[in-house]
Amino acid sequence: MHISEGVLSGGVLASGMALSAAGTYIGLKQIDYDKMPQAAILSAAFFVASLVHVPIGPSSTHLVLNGLMGILLGWGAVPAILVALLLQGMLFQFGGITTLGVNTVIMATPAIICYYLFRHMILKESFAANISGFACGFLSVFLAGILVGAALMFTEKGFFEIAVAVILANLPVMIIEGVITVSCIAFLKKVQPEILPGFSAKMVYQG
Amino acid sequence: MLKKVFFLSIFSIISILLLSGTALAHKVIIFAYVEGDTVYTESKFSGGKKVVNGKILVYDLKERELLKGKTDKNGEFFFKIPEKTALNIVLDAGMGHGNSWTIPLSEIENIPENNKEKKEDLHKISLLEQKRELKISAPFLNEKKIEIMIEKALDKKLKPIMRILIEEREKGPDVHDIFSGIGYIFGLAGVASYISFRKRGGSGKL
Repeated sequence: MHISEGVLSGGVLASGMALSAAGTYIGLKQIDYDKMPQAAILSAAFFVASLVHVPIGPSSTHLVLNGLMGILLGWGAVPAILVALLLQGMLFQFGGITTLGVNTVIMATPAIICYYLFRHMILKESFAANISGFACGFLSVFLAGILVGAALMFTEKGFFEIAVAVILANLPVMIIEGVITVSCIAFLKKVQPEILPGFSAKMVYQG
Repeated sequence: MLKKVFFLSIFSIISILLLSGTALAHKVIIFAYVEGDTVYTESKFSGGKKVVNGKILVYDLKERELLKGKTDKNGEFFFKIPEKTALNIVLDAGMGHGNSWTIPLSEIENIPENNKEKKEDLHKISLLEQKRELKISAPFLNEKKIEIMIEKALDKKLKPIMRILIEEREKGPDVHDIFSGIGYIFGLAGVASYISFRKRGGSGKL
């Protein structure tokens, strides 16, 4: 998922930076006092998750957790992902500093899309909630694969092939990611439902 | 109380991840070295997996493409030095993974010209050997020949060390990196909370 330095053209890098800067601005406005530790913990989890290596397929891949971040943080996922990617770039040489913007867009856009798609669904007390939790994790990686293809399209000119290759390589991760997301959400719902989006607005304290 | 449970569980998840995940493959490395008139390259993912069929492009410093090729099963690719210039060897392992290695002019400089001489010299030496004229006399071992012999021996002896160095470079992130990253993130969150606390005029509940 991380695009290395020196692969993309300048225009793509610049637009990635601009988009991620805008997203970070919106995200920072949305992270309030109570969300801060949550954002930090999810950012740390994202930072570490890419070390969990799933050795299936020709090239191994790793967990992303962007779906979970999106559903819990909304736009706040953008700065959280940005910080984690910056540190991954500096400490592990994953991705890089110039590709930071593009990589942030690649991982954060699916997070936001999943937030808007699934934030109401996951609160339901039914099987549908589990399905949507799984779909959230699955789709977030899937969309990231498409975005990788889109970013590389301008340099390699083979959007479809790259997107398909990335998605196929990440298929196991999508499934694992879906399972992790659904179990995290189910766990949080039981233990601390107020951190799920829209919960406090909907529920009345019943004693 | 619930909060504590939540944080504890997150922490345990993180520590499990730390224990389980060691190897990873999200960085590719290309390493190239010159031997004689040939440049050898090796390409690997940071998990140690070889890059098979990765595209290799060789440029000079003015971005002019000199040649290209593909890595073999062992992630290796070698080529004859096309001309006397610094080489920028770019690996494209697909899906946005790539890296490059530059060979400065100083490493190449002497080789293409010297090489002929070198070969001739070596040829002469072996001829002489064949003729059993192996009486090592002072005039025979002039400076140049000694230099060539030393270079050859050094190449041979240094190869394993080179390999160790390459492997050293490929080491994935260690525990220090991981914890320092997590520390940075929490520190940043602390700074951010401090700023937002000040913005509220210090009225936020702590």
